[in-house]
Amino acid sequence: MGNKQTVFTAQQLDAYQDSNPQPMAVPWSRLFHRYRDLAPQLVPLDYTSKPDVKLPYELIGSMPELKDNPFRQRIAEVFSEDGEGNMTLDDFLDMFSVLSEMAPRDLKAYYAFKIYDFNNDDYICKADLEKTLNKLTRSELTAEEVRMVCEKVMDEADLDNDGRLSLEDFQHMIIRAPDFLRCSMHHIHLTSGTSYHCKRLCAASPGQMWAS
Amino acid sequence: MRSLALLVLAAAVGEAAALGAAPARAPAAASLRPAREDAEEAVAVAVAVALPRSADPAAVEAAGDEAHGDASSHHQHGGGYKIVQWEWSYVQTPYIIAIWILVASVAKILFHFSQRVTTVVPESCLLILLGLVLGGVVLIASKKQLYQLDPGLFFLFLLPTIVGDAGYFMPSRLFFDNLGAILMYAVVGTLWNAFCTGFCLYGMKLAGVIDEKVEGGMMEFLLFGALISAVDPVAVLAVFEEVHVNETLFIIVFGESLLNDAVTVVLYKVYISFVEVGPGNVQTADYFKGVASFLIVSIGGTMVGLIFAVILAFITRFTKRVRIIEPLFVFLLVYLAYLTAELFSLSAILSMTFCGIGTKKYVEANISQKSRTTVKYTMKTLASIAETIIFIFLGISAVDKSKWAWDTGLISCTLIFIFVFRALGVVGQTWVLNWFRLVPLEKIDQVVMSYGGLRGAVAFALVVLLDGKQVKAKDYFVATTIVVVFFTVMFQGLTIKPLVKWLKVPRSTNRKPTLNEEIHERAFDHILAAVEDIAGLNGYHHWRDKWEQFDKNYLSKLLMRKSVYHKGELWEVYQKINIRDAISVIDQGGNVLTSARLSLPSMASRTSFSDVTNVTSYLRENGSGVCLDLQVIDPVSGGKLEEETETHHLLTGNLYKPRRRYHAHYSRHFMTMGDKERQDREVFQRNMRSRLESFKSTRYKGKTRHKKERSQKKARLSLSALVPIDPVVAPLESEEEKSEDEPEKDDDVGITFVANKNDLPKESPKERPKSVCQSPAVIPPSPTCAEKHLPWKGGGGTLPVCVSMETTKIIPIDLQQAWNQSISSLESLASPPAPAEPQHPRVRTLGRVEAAARGGNGASAGAKGTGGGGGSGLAQSSQFQFPSEEDESTQTLQEQETQPLMSSVRPPPPPPPSSSSQVTGRRPPSFNRNPCVYLRSLVAAPPAGSEPRSRGPTQL
Repeated sequence: MGNKQTVFTAQQLDAYQDSNPQPMAVPWSRLFHRYRDLAPQLVPLDYTSKPDVKLPYELIGSMPELKDNPFRQRIAEVFSEDGEGNMTLDDFLDMFSVLSEMAPRDLKAYYAFKIYDFNNDDYICKADLEKTLNKLTRSELTAEEVRMVCEKVMDEADLDNDGRLSLEDFQHMIIRAPDFLRCSMHHIHLTSGTSYHCKRLCAASPGQMWAS
Repeated sequence: MRSLALLVLAAAVGEAAALGAAPARAPAAASLRPAREDAEEAVAVAVAVALPRSADPAAVEAAGDEAHGDASSHHQHGGGYKIVQWEWSYVQTPYIIAIWILVASVAKILFHFSQRVTTVVPESCLLILLGLVLGGVVLIASKKQLYQLDPGLFFLFLLPTIVGDAGYFMPSRLFFDNLGAILMYAVVGTLWNAFCTGFCLYGMKLAGVIDEKVEGGMMEFLLFGALISAVDPVAVLAVFEEVHVNETLFIIVFGESLLNDAVTVVLYKVYISFVEVGPGNVQTADYFKGVASFLIVSIGGTMVGLIFAVILAFITRFTKRVRIIEPLFVFLLVYLAYLTAELFSLSAILSMTFCGIGTKKYVEANISQKSRTTVKYTMKTLASIAETIIFIFLGISAVDKSKWAWDTGLISCTLIFIFVFRALGVVGQTWVLNWFRLVPLEKIDQVVMSYGGLRGAVAFALVVLLDGKQVKAKDYFVATTIVVVFFTVMFQGLTIKPLVKWLKVPRSTNRKPTLNEEIHERAFDHILAAVEDIAGLNGYHHWRDKWEQFDKNYLSKLLMRKSVYHKGELWEVYQKINIRDAISVIDQGGNVLTSARLSLPSMASRTSFSDVTNVTSYLRENGSGVCLDLQVIDPVSGGKLEEETETHHLLTGNLYKPRRRYHAHYSRHFMTMGDKERQDREVFQRNMRSRLESFKSTRYKGKTRHKKERSQKKARLSLSALVPIDPVVAPLESEEEKSEDEPEKDDDVGITFVANKNDLPKESPKERPKSVCQSPAVIPPSPTCAEKHLPWKGGGGTLPVCVSMETTKIIPIDLQQAWNQSISSLESLASPPAPAEPQHPRVRTLGRVEAAARGGNGASAGAKGTGGGGGSGLAQSSQFQFPSEEDESTQTLQEQETQPLMSSVRPPPPPPPSSSSQVTGRRPPSFNRNPCVYLRSLVAAPPAGSEPRSRGPTQL
């Protein structure tokens, strides 16, 4: 990827690096190249004309590193705009922004919540939990054990006793656990641009929660 | 403490005597006699000195007598053959070393008697204090300080053990993640400290704050600044280990203390040469030479370390047939890396650190599990001892009149300067670093880092090495260094803990996470791993990717064995331990690691199950490797809590880790499991669980309704089936325990009561093998009567142990055979053919109960089951009218089965001695917990072949 010619328009760059004092940081261009590497035939090198390109999920899901990961599809689904795992460059960048260290914890929590919420009903219900657990344990537990664990988890976190976890419940749980989600993403260094994306995503997510 | 002092005293005096004797002995054999007398006199003196202090006058008297006797016999026989000879000079050196190590170790034990003291005062402080006391004793005894921290000893033997341990067990990922910061602090920070301290001290000297007696120009003070400014790895480790600050903070300070060695060495050497030639003769070129020297020393040291790392890894690749010397290679080559670097006057610490870091991965893969454990423990032991000795000797060295060249101005200035410049340096560098760091170092971190800049033995050893002729103020420098070291280690070491608490520095906690956290955190780890993978950001250092590629493609192939675990070896292990069938039960999944670790029961349980639950600690002590389900039995009673723990166990057993989760921590005294081990354990547990699941499914065939209630009942049933074993097993322990066991047993387990009551009238079940048909006289009381007495009938709460519903999974009926075989092979190994263990019928009963339960309905099932067993069971069961409910029937059946067994407990004759020698050998004399019994009963399953005989031992 040695060529340094302009890949983004000035506005795009500005937007990506919104309010960030640092010079163009390498990781962004790296991310872009990574994105492009996944499908060189689909993604043009020149992004100045805002092409409408989507990376199909099959490409992401078939990455060898992800083979063992139980959440690969879910992640792609949550972060893609169409909800089916096909990612645009923006989606791609969003994903890293949210999960990078710069992102506020609430935002991370929101997206974690979204990831767990398999049926997209804005609540984590028992079925969601069971699904998570089965993914985590590679379905090695018996149904009974899964049920037991889910009950316990619900007991622990369900504050309003409605048998499902709302976003508030989830956040409360995270607040109680100080270390949780804090030191996530040790290795993703996104120094610039992240703030922009965070803002963008904050705006996209339920506003009142992260008004500050 | 007193005896310690005495010991040291004796050693000191002995050495004094030997010192006196040595020159006399040297010239000729003729002069041997006076020397000997001299030595004897010295011993007598020692005894005399020791006498008033001794707590045991008799012993001293005896010693005195011996000395006298020796002397008198000597006088009588002249030069003839002496029966007893005093060969102190012969054993002197190793003897003293051994005594010192003993003193240090005993001191450690004593400190840890009091938990409260050690939580407040760091061990290093206590050791220094002890050193001061011992130094005082020695000084009083021999008027002269015989011992001090000898730089040669320190640099050649004590320091390498500590650095080797630190390097080998360095959490390398964490280290390399923070390498930039570490290097910055180590190089820039140390340079800054050295120059500033040196210049400012010189300024103070010019200003007249420091006394005129302290002779020295700028170079001397710069030299002093260089050696006093380096943060000391030994002190940092000793103090930070007890503070438990978060890992990043720890690794930065610790890494700095290791890597600044190069800077210190170079500065020290450069300044010494400058002092030698005189400051006037230093040319500009010399400064550049200094810089070049720094580069060579640091990079060269690293290279030497890496070269030795490669050699070591390569050698261990071929040690398959000589497993026993694997640990030796590790120690030798790591040590050689150190020595080689010293040889070329490169940075030895760097060399050793990088040798350890570089080689660990390959060595760990190549050497066997046992060797790994050996390396681990030996390194930790050595490092721990070395550290103890260093601190004690630091204390002792301080008690020396020749070193007391006190200059208040110098000392106070030094203390202030090193503290101020350390703080300034840290703040400045952190400010720079935070521009590049993703996780900025907070203010609090900076405070701790500046406060944690401890000076230690390295500085002391360096200052002692100074040449007194060239550095006129050496004595002052030595005194100042001692004060600085003591101040930093003792004052800062004492106060850093409260400081950390007060500042609320994020610490590495041991809080138990809630279930939610556990699940979600794990899930989030997976998610993050996925995202990282998508991004291809395998760590943010580009070169790391490249390195990993290189490592995978070339290095690993070169340095690692092709197949680390061979099947053949595996089978060797199987046969050696002779529980191969037991293993195959657990290991049908075919995981090689699992079985390898299972086959080393004591070791495996020691290293892998480090959770601090009671059961596991129990198991650790007893080395039971054959416990099938560790997770299930938890002695914590109380409904909710218990279930919670169980759920936690369930989770920890099953949640699998994402590829790249790592947990790095370094500790001198407590060994954390490595990633690999943890992974192994996870796999092991998962395997186990799947096995158990399949057991369960075979056992619960066709029973799906009311699963939960049923399984809980079953748990009780199996418990009840197992409880009675207790009295049976107990007498097997060993003869001498028997007498005291008898009365105690009744309190131990409720069921013994029942058995006693029921069985007192009848003796005949013991004759069962002879009379196949039981007479009606032996009919036990009615089941309802028995049930009245059964403790668990009263209610679930009175269960002697809480056994979860999964307990029932322990031994499936269809695996009995395997167990029996394995045990019989075990037996044949452990002892000559012996009468089978009495508990045999019990375990069989368990199987039969299951069979009965499977059979479906009451009486017929009971008859069938006992019919299989033959003997009294048949007769008894045919006498009863079973209730129609199935559980009831099994229950009663259970109970009948118990009775013949119980009766066998009563008779006084001693148990077969043979069986006590094997599996039950390691049991503690008395035990109240049933899980142990329970586990034990698993281990002691009977041989299958001896079925007819096995009925016999019940009569003993």
